[in-house]
Amino acid sequence: MTAATAPLAARGPARRRRPPTRFLQPVAAITLVVLLLGVPFWLVVVTAGKSQSEALNPNLSTPSHWHLWENFGTVFHEGHMTPAFFGSLLIMIPAVAGVLILGAMASWVLARRKSRTVAFVYALAISGLVLPPAVVTIVLLLRQLGLAGTALGMIGVYMGMYMSTVIFFVTGFVRTIPLELEEAARVDGASPARVFFRIILPLLGPTISTATILICLYIWNDVFYALFVIGGRIDTLPLNLYQVASAGLYLNNWHLIFAYIILMSLPLLVTFGLLQRRIISGVTSGAVK
Amino acid sequence: MKITRSAVAAVAVAGALALAGCSDPGASDAGNGPSTSDWPAQDAKLDGTTLTIWAAQNSNKTADSVIQGFEKLTGATVKVVTIPDPYEQGVQTKVATGDKPDLAFWQPTASELTALNAKTNLQTLDGAPWLGNYTGNLKDITGLLDGKRYAALVTTPAVIGVYYNKEVFAKNGITSTPKSWDDLVALAKQLKAKGVTPFYEMGADKWATQWWVQAQLADAAKDGLWDKVNKNQEKFTDPTIQGAIDTYKGLIDDGLFNTDIKTATFADQGDALLGGKAAMAMQVNSFFNELQASASTAELDKKIGFFPISPSGNVGTFIPDQSNALVAFKTGDSKREAAARQFLSYWLGDGYQDFVDAQSTVSLLTGVDTPSSVPQALKDVAASIDSSVGSMQALAVANPDLYLNLSDMIQGTKTPAQVAKTTQDQFAQLAKAQGVAGF
Amino acid sequence: MTTTQLTRAEAAPPRSAPRAGRSTRHRQDHPAWFLVPALVVLLVFFFVPTIYNFVYAFTNWSSFHSAISFVGVDNFKDLFTNGSLLKDLRITLVYAVLVAIFQNLFGLVLALVLERDTMINRFARVAFFVPVVMSALAVGYIFQALLKPQGGLNDILGFITRHDVNVAWLGSTTWTIVVVALIHAWKWMGLSMLIYLAGLKTISEDVLEASRLDGAGWWTTFREIRFPLLAPAITFNVATALLGSMNGFDIVQATTGGGPGGTTELLNIFIFRTFGQGLFAQATTMSLALFAMVAILAFPVIRILRTREAVL
Repeated sequence: MTAATAPLAARGPARRRRPPTRFLQPVAAITLVVLLLGVPFWLVVVTAGKSQSEALNPNLSTPSHWHLWENFGTVFHEGHMTPAFFGSLLIMIPAVAGVLILGAMASWVLARRKSRTVAFVYALAISGLVLPPAVVTIVLLLRQLGLAGTALGMIGVYMGMYMSTVIFFVTGFVRTIPLELEEAARVDGASPARVFFRIILPLLGPTISTATILICLYIWNDVFYALFVIGGRIDTLPLNLYQVASAGLYLNNWHLIFAYIILMSLPLLVTFGLLQRRIISGVTSGAVK
Repeated sequence: MKITRSAVAAVAVAGALALAGCSDPGASDAGNGPSTSDWPAQDAKLDGTTLTIWAAQNSNKTADSVIQGFEKLTGATVKVVTIPDPYEQGVQTKVATGDKPDLAFWQPTASELTALNAKTNLQTLDGAPWLGNYTGNLKDITGLLDGKRYAALVTTPAVIGVYYNKEVFAKNGITSTPKSWDDLVALAKQLKAKGVTPFYEMGADKWATQWWVQAQLADAAKDGLWDKVNKNQEKFTDPTIQGAIDTYKGLIDDGLFNTDIKTATFADQGDALLGGKAAMAMQVNSFFNELQASASTAELDKKIGFFPISPSGNVGTFIPDQSNALVAFKTGDSKREAAARQFLSYWLGDGYQDFVDAQSTVSLLTGVDTPSSVPQALKDVAASIDSSVGSMQALAVANPDLYLNLSDMIQGTKTPAQVAKTTQDQFAQLAKAQGVAGF
Repeated sequence: MTTTQLTRAEAAPPRSAPRAGRSTRHRQDHPAWFLVPALVVLLVFFFVPTIYNFVYAFTNWSSFHSAISFVGVDNFKDLFTNGSLLKDLRITLVYAVLVAIFQNLFGLVLALVLERDTMINRFARVAFFVPVVMSALAVGYIFQALLKPQGGLNDILGFITRHDVNVAWLGSTTWTIVVVALIHAWKWMGLSMLIYLAGLKTISEDVLEASRLDGAGWWTTFREIRFPLLAPAITFNVATALLGSMNGFDIVQATTGGGPGGTTELLNIFIFRTFGQGLFAQATTMSLALFAMVAILAFPVIRILRTREAVL
């Protein structure tokens, strides 16, 4: 690193930041938010508040009468959002928990042991980041295992898809955990399982947060794989959108679509808002190692 | 435990071998279905039976009234599952994975029935009690593949024709509708001279661009054009079809279409015709349904008219779509298969009057009246079916993306010759995959 | 060098004292059976289906008949004579590169602007994360509505310039690919921002203090010190942006459907359409081609970025 030795012109005592910059930054921040985010979100909210005929051609004007709560009610009822919400949860939570634990376990071993075989297995394990999952053959396989259309099958599919992501993240991070900590525990007579669950796993908190957010995002919003594995049998939020999306051939119920989208995104948003600090500090120590 | 290289390899090979023994995908567990000459009575009790119907986003509410009546009458439970658009792709893929419903909305044309592998996957509906009740020649024009019936038509098939704004015509002194293609073009030029946009096309939404080509092929279709194409004796690049594409491009180049043709959408087209900004649009029934979403029957009867058009006369080209018909699957469960047939019998039997009233659509069966709430234009469309000819979708063995290529032409990325060539190549590829002789 | 150099632990060997029989100890302390559950899941739910999928590329699998037979490399031959494949590969590559550039640029700028932990900044960070959380389909719908000729963006521009603005943002056969890449970047920039924020926080205060004392201005500090130290974050962001957009599909499908005139037709859109026509074997052949392209491009890029990290 050349930082400390970089040649810099001597300029005398460092200047203090000028006051105008102090105000400029928050203004810049707010402007960015309004421009980049305000306009699209305004469109969503405004369209969600319109009646069907007004919403046929979505635009930025406010509705003549606000139907927002009414539309929420319609999508909630017709889109069967309650079972869909629980369906999504039922699948997402075990999938995320499973892939994190199994992935972390594998990462630990892959990070600590060094041999050509291990390197090969590691390369294999993260190749899932690059390979596209093949939906039809996965379902055919599930059918033969008797898992087609079941929540367990869907959980397995998601775990398979995102295992590589977890291993990619966690392996790098495990190497930053000093071996001494493990040694100390082992000297005290702990079995490998104990060492892993009591010592390593807690320390993996930060990187696990990063992986959790990413995987939760993908699974919560996934339509494609859910459609073919469990479509028609288990309700999930993204799938049920299509119950209310259409007003006729080639016509969309934009007001209902956007109302549904607002409701569907709320759980993740609320979670992120509440856990924001934790998540950022998690990412801080997590992905960038 | 040591990780040896050979151990890893062994596991991998074992895994692969174990699954190599897997049978063919989507292998039909329904090879020998029950005899479909058995049509249960419409009101036979079905307590405890659950039927699943797959529907597209735009047809998932179509069956509601029928389901209500059927459930009350028989005690069965009927569930509608919405498959997101693009519907056909979703259904084909799910069927490929071995997932089958009891019934599904499906385009009743030969090419689409082939795409669903009807012979293996679908029940035949020959001998159904309601077949004799179809009006006109509806029974014979669609739903059939290789002489066997697989699809049940429930609403009047869409017809390609011209929707026009009556007030624009009247204001410009036009008192009669065109009687041939040349009449149509002459009329358009007349309107253009008076400063009116003659035709409106939705270049951005793409799917309607093909109607212009198909309408021009009506005469040839009657003469067996598609039979020849199906045997590879005639190609899209040959004069008949290429000529139609060239004519379409010529009309656009002559300025007879809206200036924003490249970016116009389906919604724009509806607005334009209803508002009188354009005089005519070549479209199918779904266009009219869009108009119905924002105008009353009375207004539509006053403003919008319909006439079919073909090179030498007023012959429409019919193109049944997914929401017009249902198919029944061979699921291997003979009880459910019979229940599915019973559901169709009810729909096209005791439940039909309620259905037609609830959907405000033209009746297909003799003895059931079309409700008065149906606009005149739709009635005209239904009336034109008897004399209409089949479209590419209805008569060709495969369904290439003609509309996509035409829309590329409108955007300027393909020439008419390229449109024909690309479409022919796609057609040949699909026909070859089906094992059609001659490809 | 600071203690944060634990981050480059891959370069640093484990610090346990070399002992005879260490490899045996590893076998006991880091048992292989810990690997097994994950590998089984990967094998069963991922590798086997994917490999099977690629095998079908050598058959005539389609929706038209139940029997499947091998056809050798016919599908590949047909594929390369089909002009669409190369055109779509090129478009996918252009899209991926554009997204990688835009997403990182925006993410970095956002991270720099919102670096300090003020209330406003915290709120802004959450706000920018909202698009990340929304489904790609939703993003597609929104921008479709905003970018049409009579849509929101033209309304705003018309309002500002007091002229009628009628630009068809999604209708240009040359530039729409840039527009969709921007939309993709819009959706994911919150995540890039997060990673860069994290990266900025790992830069030790000592180093920054030192440079401040030397009288370096903000830009110099950034260029000479912070940017180089962000190397791991850059690797992560560029790699995920590239990989993510090469397998891209949702946003483009929802906004342009591959148009206008096929100029935004990503390979995945073409594959999806082919699959939908019932030509399953041909579609998997194309997936194989896409995978090959991703592999050929991804690994060198990652290797270059990792080397840069190590050097810096």
